[in-house]
Amino acid sequence: MQSKFLGWALLAPTLLILALFGVVPFIYVLFVSFHQWNPFGANPDMLFNWAGNYRKLVFDAQFLASLGVTAAFVFFAVLSELVLGYALAQALMRDFPGKAFFRTIHTLPLIMAPIIVGSVWKLMTTPSIGIIPNILSNWLGYDLNIGQSAWQAFATTVIMDIWHWTPLVTLTLIAALVSLPADPFEQAQIDGANRRQIFWHITLPMIRPAILATVFIRMMDAMRTVDEVLMLTGGGPGSATRYVGVHIFKEVFPRTNYGYGSAVSVIVLYLTIVVCWLMYVGLIAPRNKGKG
Amino acid sequence: MARVKIDNVFKRYGALQVMHGVNVDIEDGEFVVLVGPSGCGKSTLLRMLAGLEQISDGTISIGERVVNDVPPKERDISMVFQSYALYPHKTVAENIGFPLKMAKRPKSEIQEKVNHAASILDLAHLLDRYPKQLSGGQRQRVAMGRAIVRNPQVFLFDEPLSNLDAKLRVSMRVEIKELHQRLGTTIVYVTHDQIEAMTMADKIVVMRDGRVEQIGAPLDLFDRPESVFVGGFIGSPSMNFLHGTVSSQEGRQVFRTDGGLALPMPQAGLADGHQVTYGIRPEHIAIGDEGVPVNIVVTEPTGSETQIFARVDNDLINAVVRDRIYARPGEQVGFVIDPANVHLFDRQTERRL
Repeated sequence: MQSKFLGWALLAPTLLILALFGVVPFIYVLFVSFHQWNPFGANPDMLFNWAGNYRKLVFDAQFLASLGVTAAFVFFAVLSELVLGYALAQALMRDFPGKAFFRTIHTLPLIMAPIIVGSVWKLMTTPSIGIIPNILSNWLGYDLNIGQSAWQAFATTVIMDIWHWTPLVTLTLIAALVSLPADPFEQAQIDGANRRQIFWHITLPMIRPAILATVFIRMMDAMRTVDEVLMLTGGGPGSATRYVGVHIFKEVFPRTNYGYGSAVSVIVLYLTIVVCWLMYVGLIAPRNKGKG
Repeated sequence: MARVKIDNVFKRYGALQVMHGVNVDIEDGEFVVLVGPSGCGKSTLLRMLAGLEQISDGTISIGERVVNDVPPKERDISMVFQSYALYPHKTVAENIGFPLKMAKRPKSEIQEKVNHAASILDLAHLLDRYPKQLSGGQRQRVAMGRAIVRNPQVFLFDEPLSNLDAKLRVSMRVEIKELHQRLGTTIVYVTHDQIEAMTMADKIVVMRDGRVEQIGAPLDLFDRPESVFVGGFIGSPSMNFLHGTVSSQEGRQVFRTDGGLALPMPQAGLADGHQVTYGIRPEHIAIGDEGVPVNIVVTEPTGSETQIFARVDNDLINAVVRDRIYARPGEQVGFVIDPANVHLFDRQTERRL
């Protein structure tokens, strides 16, 4: 009995913090999402309106559009980060002069706060003063104006996310590659596999758990991107980069539409869970069958 | 099937030379065992044959083809690693069929050959399992299945039995030998275990410090070791060595230890005073009253035989006898040695005289 008590006692701080900062706010958001509540609106009181907020968001064209651009953002960003991260991880597995230096500076973006990343990229991409539009127009004759071009703004947010988060993917994949045993790779050479076949049949399946874990983390992170994009484009031009996180922020803070914003948050959480569950069922569960 | 020729092969890592002109000829269908202590270069030599390690000088040919610059996948060889190197994410069937899949053979053919290999190795009921669901012996057999399925010219085995327990090792030894008799493919097999070498090989290559020490049939190596090293390495328990000189006594030459004890030796026509190392195998020492008197230090009865350790000068000499000896430590017994069983080596060069 004592050991059981001790176990709970040791867990208590964690559970308490989790409850305080995780469960309680979530229940509160859930509670608010069933109310109409705009403290600075005509009626500042919390009015219970059943599932009114949820019904509204199903017909909210702006919300649906934001889901679409978020999906595109997550897809392009995470896929590019994975490919680029793998290539960098492989490159860093080799020895070359300055490797330690490069590996260090290449992880620097990771320790930067998103709000800083957004500000720096804003500075770098502002037409006439930013370095990127300058170089592009002087060297390539290409005009970059993320305040005007919807797709340029979208692409820039994707590139910014890649710049910020590829090192995370690289680090995870290096860890996975380093821990691989050498024998199966030598065996595969003897078994007649060429480099491409070794990649598809041996390397990829063996680092699959690490890849999936990274993709999950990056997907969940990318789906709730707010501050970087808010700083860089403010969700514009128009609603070209109004990702769900940005959408919620704009509903809740400038418009103080707390009830509706909460409902959107709950739905986004739900959608994230669904996407992850689908990926789990589609990619992980079938492979684990039969494995002891 | 093919001959393998290793011709004056050197290996250097920068300034460090680890392989010093190795020559080995392997006949078609021969079972050759490379044996030697850790770090003697046997595994490196095998990896050079496989193409996993470059050679610095010399030539290696498989069949009639020089393969120095041929990558592993084009050498038409199979290899079984000590760790088995199974693909953890593939089933037994996928593991065995992998070389065929890489060669883009039709599915039906792959299935047929996998089933055939599985039936030879008694794996048919395990085809859907993953490596981690198998025991050590089963994994070993899967690795062998993957090696035989492609019907290569040469099989390479790198200490394949080292990770198995003693009992399983004996039965796998028999299985590998049986497989060789059945397939008739050339096998190069690396081990540090001289029993494995003796029991399996047609020909043993004893290596030491990146050089070939002696090549020969197992019993030839046992009966006529060319050096002190081979004499001590082959045979278990290992050969006893004593240091001393040749001297004459009553018209016959005898071996006199540095401590002055006289032991019988073959009349090899050596000059008196020649410094020699005297080798005698434990099983070639008998116990008898007419023998050389020695003091027993320890006896170790194992049931089927008795090991006796006795002190001669400052060395412990080991004798193995079939009879049960009930002598106590400190008692004196006589060691009877037939000169025909004595091996004489030059003390300086350590080569056979």
